[in-house]
Amino acid sequence: MATVPATSTWSAAGGRYRIRARSVANTVVLYALVAAVAFWLVAPFVWLFITSISYQRNLLSRPLAFMPPEVTFDNYRMVLGLVRFHAEGQAAKILPSMLNSLTVAAVVTVINLVVGTTAGYAYARFRFPLKSLSLYALLFTRMLPTVVLVPAFFLIFRAAGLQNTLTGLIVAYCSFTLPFTVWIMKAYFETIPDDLDASALVDGCNRLQAYYRVVLPVSGPGLVAGGAFTFMLCWNEFLVALVLNTKLGTTTLPPVVAGMNGQINIDYSVIAASGFLAALPAVLLVLCFQKYLVEGLTAGSVKG
Amino acid sequence: MIPALTIVSAVVAFPLVYSLWMSLADVNLLKTTGPAIELFGLRIPLFRFVGEANYARIFADPLYWGSVGRSLYFVAAFVIEATLVGLGMALVLQERFAGRTLMRSLLLIPWSLSRVVVGLLWIGLLDFEFGALNAALHRAGLIDTYIAFFKEGFTALNVLVSVYMWNQAPFATLLFLAGMQSIPVELHLAAEVDGAGYWQRLRYVTLPALRPILFLVLVLATVNGFLMLDLIYILTMGGPGYDTTTISWLGFQTAFNFFKFGPGAAILYTLTAFCLVLTFVYRFLMFRREAAA
Repeated sequence: MATVPATSTWSAAGGRYRIRARSVANTVVLYALVAAVAFWLVAPFVWLFITSISYQRNLLSRPLAFMPPEVTFDNYRMVLGLVRFHAEGQAAKILPSMLNSLTVAAVVTVINLVVGTTAGYAYARFRFPLKSLSLYALLFTRMLPTVVLVPAFFLIFRAAGLQNTLTGLIVAYCSFTLPFTVWIMKAYFETIPDDLDASALVDGCNRLQAYYRVVLPVSGPGLVAGGAFTFMLCWNEFLVALVLNTKLGTTTLPPVVAGMNGQINIDYSVIAASGFLAALPAVLLVLCFQKYLVEGLTAGSVKG
Repeated sequence: MIPALTIVSAVVAFPLVYSLWMSLADVNLLKTTGPAIELFGLRIPLFRFVGEANYARIFADPLYWGSVGRSLYFVAAFVIEATLVGLGMALVLQERFAGRTLMRSLLLIPWSLSRVVVGLLWIGLLDFEFGALNAALHRAGLIDTYIAFFKEGFTALNVLVSVYMWNQAPFATLLFLAGMQSIPVELHLAAEVDGAGYWQRLRYVTLPALRPILFLVLVLATVNGFLMLDLIYILTMGGPGYDTTTISWLGFQTAFNFFKFGPGAAILYTLTAFCLVLTFVYRFLMFRREAAA
C-alpha cells in the first residue's frame, strides 16, 4: 500500500477539513474510471441517436463507421409522417400514440399529486385504525408484480367497457403509481416538523387548511419528485398498455415502438428514431428535476 | 384524507384479490353468464371455483419448474451484477473530481429510459448484422466473426441479465451514494489518522456503514429480477426455445398469449407470494434499522 490515495472519499463534508492532494497516478486512475463510467452510462444512448440519424446501409457496412459518414433526418421525417415510405402505416401511429401517452401520463400525475400526497400526509401525521396494516399493505404493493394485477384489470375493464380506453389505462396506472407516491410523500412530510401544522391549527386553520395553506406550499421538492417520478413511470410503461389497449389508436407510445421493432421490413435506423423520440421526454424530465428526484427517491427508500 | 386512502386501497386491493380468485377459478373468457358479483353497477364474472386445480396443473408442468430454475439463475446473476456494478459506480462517483454534478445527472439516463427503448438500444449494440459492440470487438481484433448474442439460449439469458443491469444498476448507485453521504466524516478522518489506506477504509469504514443499504439494494434487485418481463418481450420473447422463459414471462404468456387466465394468474400468484415473503424480510430489516438509529 505504498501509493495510498490520500483523497477525500467523504466529499459531502465540504470544507470541514483540508483535502490532501491526490497523487498524479491516482488522479489519472480516478479520471480514467470516471470516463469509463460515463461511457458505460451514455454511449449506448448516444449510439441510439447516431443510428437514428444514419442510413441503414451505413449501419450494415463493414467495417462499421462509428462516426456516421452521412447524416440524415429522413428517419425522423418517416416516423413523423412527413415523407411517404413503405411502412408509413406503422409510423403513422407514432404521433397519436405519443399524444395518448402524454394524456395518460399527465392525468395520472395530477391524480397522484392530489390523492397520493393527501394520503401521504395522512400517513405522516395521523393515527387511524388499521394504519400499520395498511402501511404494510402499501409496502407490499410496492413490491408487487404489477403484472399480477393485469389479468384482473383485463376482466374488470371488459365488464366496465374500459378496455381500449385511456380512462382504463389511467385507472390501471394509478393502481401502481399511487403506492409509490404515497410512500415518497409520506417520507417527505415526515421531514417537515409537526410544529408547522400545529401553529397553523393554533392560528385557526382546520386540518385541511393547514395542509393546503401551510404544509403543501413548503413541500415543493417532494411534489416535484413525486410528480416527475409518476410521469416517468407512466410515459415508459409498456406491458399494461400492450395488453389492455389493443385497438388501433388507443394505445400509448411504447407498444407502438415495440410493434415497429417486431416488423421485419422496417429499418433499424427508423426504429431507432422512434425509440429516441420515445426516450427524450422522460430523459429530459428526469435530468431537469434530477436533484429533487434523487432526494425524494432515496429518502423514500432509504428511510423506509 | 379518508377518500384518498379509500381510493388507494380500492384500485390496488380489489384487482389483487380478484386475481387471487382467478387463480382459483376456471376462467373462461367467452363465458359471460354464471356467477358474478355486482360492484358499483358493474357485473364482474366470478367463473367456476376449482380450488387448487390451477396450482396443481402448473406444479405438474415441467416447464414451470424449468422456468423457476431460469428465474433463480437470472435473479442470482442480476443481483450480483447490479450490486457490484452499482457499488463500483458509487465508489467512483463519490470521489472528488471535476464534473461530479454532471456525472450524477448522467447516472439517471439509463434508469429513466423505457424498457422498450433499453431493449431497442441494446439491439443496436448487439445485433448480428449491425451491432456496434460486434463492430467494436471486431475492429479491436478480439473476434473474427460477429457474435449472435441471442442465438444460444444461455448466452441470451446472460445478455438479458446484463442489459437489465445496465438499466437498473444506476438506482443502486443512487442508494449507495446516499448511504455514503451519511457516513460521519470523523470516521474516515480517524481511520486515516490511524494509517488506514483507501482499501482499508473501504473495508472497515465504508462497507460496514453501507450494510443496511446493501440489504435494501439486494431485496429490491431480487424483486425486480423476478418481475422482469418487458426486456424479454423486446429482446428474446422467451426464446430460443424456452431458454429465456422465466417465471414471470411464463405467467404473462399463459395469461395473454394463450388466454389461460386461471393458470396464468396462478403462476403470477406464486411470484406474488414470494414477493410477500421478501416484503417481510425488507420490513424486518427496516424495523431493525429504526430501532438501532
